[in-house]
Amino acid sequence: MNAEVLYIQPDGTERVIGAIPGDSVMITAVRNGIGGILGQCGGSLSCATCHVFVDDHDAAGFAPISEDEDDMLDVAATDREDNSRLSCQLIVTAGQHIRVTIPKTQL
Amino acid sequence: MTATPEYPFGPMTVPEAVAHTARLVADRPMTKMTMPYGGDVWLVHRNSAARAVLADPRFIRRPFRTGERTVPFFVPFPDFLRTTLQFEDPPQHTKLRKLVQKAISPKRVAAMRASAVTFANQLIDAMTARGGPRNLVTDYAVSLPIEMLSTLLGVPSADREKFERWSASTLAVAGKSETEIAADLRDLSAYMTDLIARRRNQPQDDLLSALAHARDRDETLTDAEILPIAFILIVGGFDNTATFLSTGVLALLRNDEQRAQFLTDPDGLAPTTAEEILRHGSFAVGQPVAGGGGLVPFVATEDVEIEGQLIAAGDAVSLDPGSANHDPAAIDDPGRFDIARKDNPHLMLSYGLHHCLGAPLARMELQVGLAELFKRLPQIRLAGEPEYNRAVLTQPMTSLPVTW
Repeated sequence: MNAEVLYIQPDGTERVIGAIPGDSVMITAVRNGIGGILGQCGGSLSCATCHVFVDDHDAAGFAPISEDEDDMLDVAATDREDNSRLSCQLIVTAGQHIRVTIPKTQL
Repeated sequence: MTATPEYPFGPMTVPEAVAHTARLVADRPMTKMTMPYGGDVWLVHRNSAARAVLADPRFIRRPFRTGERTVPFFVPFPDFLRTTLQFEDPPQHTKLRKLVQKAISPKRVAAMRASAVTFANQLIDAMTARGGPRNLVTDYAVSLPIEMLSTLLGVPSADREKFERWSASTLAVAGKSETEIAADLRDLSAYMTDLIARRRNQPQDDLLSALAHARDRDETLTDAEILPIAFILIVGGFDNTATFLSTGVLALLRNDEQRAQFLTDPDGLAPTTAEEILRHGSFAVGQPVAGGGGLVPFVATEDVEIEGQLIAAGDAVSLDPGSANHDPAAIDDPGRFDIARKDNPHLMLSYGLHHCLGAPLARMELQVGLAELFKRLPQIRLAGEPEYNRAVLTQPMTSLPVTW
């Protein structure tokens, strides 16, 4: 089953990308030229530049926030909210349809 | 043209270099090159292949740190740099990097922006008070990163003059002798050790305090671990940021259309302008461009195939940022200098575990440095030709005469 990620830019622009199960929401964005998700550390939890807000209905489909992710979310450029995640930690599973909103700034 | 595009390649005009790079990345993901020191290294040209290498934990740095392998490079790699964070691998790297990155995080750097704006304006005040023409490299581009790093580390105002003198000694632009540099580094090292001890006793809201007190929590950090972190920030932070800022100003002064666009909204355009300067600034100044060599290499721990090319166990591999930043598969119309470019996945600050530690700070300084200068001095123009120190590897700009 195909998976899809819907990326919503801060200005409301939307783009749907077909995702490969097992890939992260970050790498799917970077590979497909989605602006606003930098992912500079490649998923090693040391840059906080792939911050996204996850649509509440989708949050349950992912592994919970680890201590390291929690620490890095605290120091992201845009203040975190209850539905904040680092998209490098959101691993897409088959059949999943995910909506994420990109914050105003990552830097 | 049917010949295999050569690499390394000698100086050619910018359009030629861009076209040559396009043929190169179409032909192959990487080229093996013999360096003057340390033997062969794969230079990865394609943006996608470079990201694959930089995100793959099978490429490590330990053999360089232990001395088991010589770093393939243009010059003998300085010993004091081989003991720093960039030559650690997980799990030690993970522990150190996490601690430092929290102190140079996007949020922390955003909080420093106002003081960067104030300091940039003080530098501009001083330049206008003395009158043009001034050397923008020494009067502006070098001063801003030194001040910001002092603030970040927590060097007290009263000590800044000597701290800057010792630190600047490592700058390529300073042109000091090896004996002088060694003496300055000893003084700097003694001073930093003392400052770390003071911050252990009386913590403040700065990086050294955060690192010194990490030992009181679950992680333990010794002076011997903190000192190299401070050094890598000093060495990595001053020269490179100053060069990017000088190059960025020169690129804008030599591209009238892009400068006119920048002047319509310096604050709004500063983020994309900074990224475009990181990617393409050295091309946009209009001088001939050569290709060959890359960032600090890694060693393959096993045979790894990347985009059809086998990198054998024990081979060294490095990113060729010039090519990766002009790969048409990643960058639309890579020869165009476009300060409003939206998708700009350049690799000038690298990627993955070892991406530039000071990246958020460097970006902020570049944005503020450009925006404040052009807001205050919209009529700024060249008052002579830039000068470079061709005797050192990074060939930094030493003089950029400007008036307004």
